[in-house]
Amino acid sequence: MNARDASDDTEIQRTLVSDPDLGFTMLVRRHQPGIYSGARRLTHRHEDAEEVAQETFLRAYRALARYDDERIGDLRIQGWLWTIALNLCRDRAKRSAKEPSAVADPAGAATDTIPIDADSWNGRLSGLSNAQRTAVVLRHVVDLPIADIADATGRPEGTVKTDISRGLDRLREALTREELR
Amino acid sequence: MTNIESTLAGLIEEPPEGLEASTVVNAGAGDLVAAVDSRFGPLWIAWSTIGVTGLTPAFASPTVESFVDHHRRVSYKAMALPKPLAAQIDEALTTGEPEGIAFDLRGISEFQQSVLRSCATIMPGQVRPYGWIAEELHKPGATRAVGTALAKNPIPLLIPCHRVVRSDGSVGNYAFGPEMKRDLLIYEGAIAL
Repeated sequence: MNARDASDDTEIQRTLVSDPDLGFTMLVRRHQPGIYSGARRLTHRHEDAEEVAQETFLRAYRALARYDDERIGDLRIQGWLWTIALNLCRDRAKRSAKEPSAVADPAGAATDTIPIDADSWNGRLSGLSNAQRTAVVLRHVVDLPIADIADATGRPEGTVKTDISRGLDRLREALTREELR
Repeated sequence: MTNIESTLAGLIEEPPEGLEASTVVNAGAGDLVAAVDSRFGPLWIAWSTIGVTGLTPAFASPTVESFVDHHRRVSYKAMALPKPLAAQIDEALTTGEPEGIAFDLRGISEFQQSVLRSCATIMPGQVRPYGWIAEELHKPGATRAVGTALAKNPIPLLIPCHRVVRSDGSVGNYAFGPEMKRDLLIYEGAIAL
């Protein structure tokens, strides 16, 4: 059996009810790239991002096995997945802080698969507060709707919008400072 | 969208190759597939974290894609079987006894699973009629259903559906033809040349 590329979350949710394993595969195929890309900007090492991108879905799979059909149908998939992923990102950040040997990726490690200077952007993003960095990454890297970011972070939508706006301002300031050097 | 926002959108990255497969397989939602050599020619084997989920000779399914298309679970191509599993399968195909090999029969009906488990108790050198399995399952009227369940055996050779024959002693049908069934039973000493 091959897993089809899902056209939308509604189709995934229907399949999760009728054929849980196939539905799960569709869920991974559709959302793992976003979770990985977001985790790549919110953790320091690509191994951490890979772990987050895998563990998020393993936890989701175990949770789905406990949910009834109605609960699966009511899920806001991206917000729910990112609730799990952000917890894992926070755990990895705490672990990295306790392990001085766990060094961040060396310069250049982040730029293998994308054409823009990801290392520099990681540096600029690390200058934001946690809330701003999370909101900016989820909105503009992962392309999550504000409502899903609010679900995932547990912050009101208005606060999320403020986090994004202030985060973008700080990134612009950082770029301006770099240009003046 | 301002420039900074479009630049951030460009930070999306493809996950490392194999991450989807390892996630789905480690969750238990999918299988890996690889070929092993055997005296029947190459065999496609699918396995999960629990056990073997499928087996098809390459003469019946020439490409891994055709095997995956017909396999009941989502599957990803692997380079090779884990060495211990490959050794167990090699041994089982030689002796006719799949000792130590775990089977993962999820995704097929309870009745078919019970038919296959009963079939797996038939030792090499023995044959049993379809009705014997029906009796074993306390469903004496289910002989035809037993035949249907065996015809859909996802793990032939290792689950020895070839050892179930007609009550008149003739070998009966087999997914890979009655000649192969007869050859298998002769090899195992269950019937004479």
